[in-house]
Amino acid sequence: MEPFVRETFGIFIRYLYRYLGNEVECEDVLEDVYADIWENPSHLRDVESERQLLRTVYLYYMRKHLREVYRRMNRHLHLAQKDLMDLTAPELGLLDTLSQSELKQALGRAMGRLKARERRAIELWLEGMSVRAIANELKTTVGAVKMLKFRTILKLKEMMSEYCHDQ
Amino acid sequence: MADTNRKIQELLSDYAGALRDGCLPVFLKSLTREEGKELSSSKEFWEAAEVVRVLNGVGFADKAAIAEAGLFASRVDANIASRLKRAKSSPRVKRTNGARTMTKTRKVEKPI
Repeated sequence: MEPFVRETFGIFIRYLYRYLGNEVECEDVLEDVYADIWENPSHLRDVESERQLLRTVYLYYMRKHLREVYRRMNRHLHLAQKDLMDLTAPELGLLDTLSQSELKQALGRAMGRLKARERRAIELWLEGMSVRAIANELKTTVGAVKMLKFRTILKLKEMMSEYCHDQ
Repeated sequence: MADTNRKIQELLSDYAGALRDGCLPVFLKSLTREEGKELSSSKEFWEAAEVVRVLNGVGFADKAAIAEAGLFASRVDANIASRLKRAKSSPRVKRTNGARTMTKTRKVEKPI
């Protein structure tokens, strides 16, 4: 198992990070994912590419553990079970199936097509700045930044989907 | 009464922030019933949420303090060992009451 873990750990943990944003939880989930793979590796038999590997591991091994993380919370939430699952462990969209390097490429291209202000807002957010700090930097209000970010993200979605179709 | 529920763009911003900071449960708990309904019916939110996850992966996964693969492999080994141990300690044979066991024992006993 160790060679497989060494080879795939970086790929899987970065993928999980998209959904959890927390290293400790990522490692806890991944530990169980690898143990599940060890118990029943049959789904990985015909995997040929990194994209296929991610998709298969997410669907057959990761998603159930991701769901378990949040399932116990649900009785205290004002969210339908389906919406909770869609927020925490969604069905795979077009972008979710891309590998890290493909995503970087798609995102880089899309960012290059944004207006300067839109790009700046996203870049600052990616640097880890809060919405208030971004508003100060762009000399505008918090509300305006939230709206700008929302619109820009929708634009990015459209551009990145185009990229996926081109590929 | 003033409407204190967050608008979709505010919800997305808070979702993105929570995901970036690794505290999604806090965001989930902060949702009111109306906000939950608003999320459900907003196609734009779900589209944007997909990109937010991508940004989270691309922007922050590389900066995260991720463990060394070799060390992590030993954690996986320990997990597998504990599963094996659990599988061994829980016998598959049906538990039987003492009387039946006694009968079985008597059958194999050789007469003196």
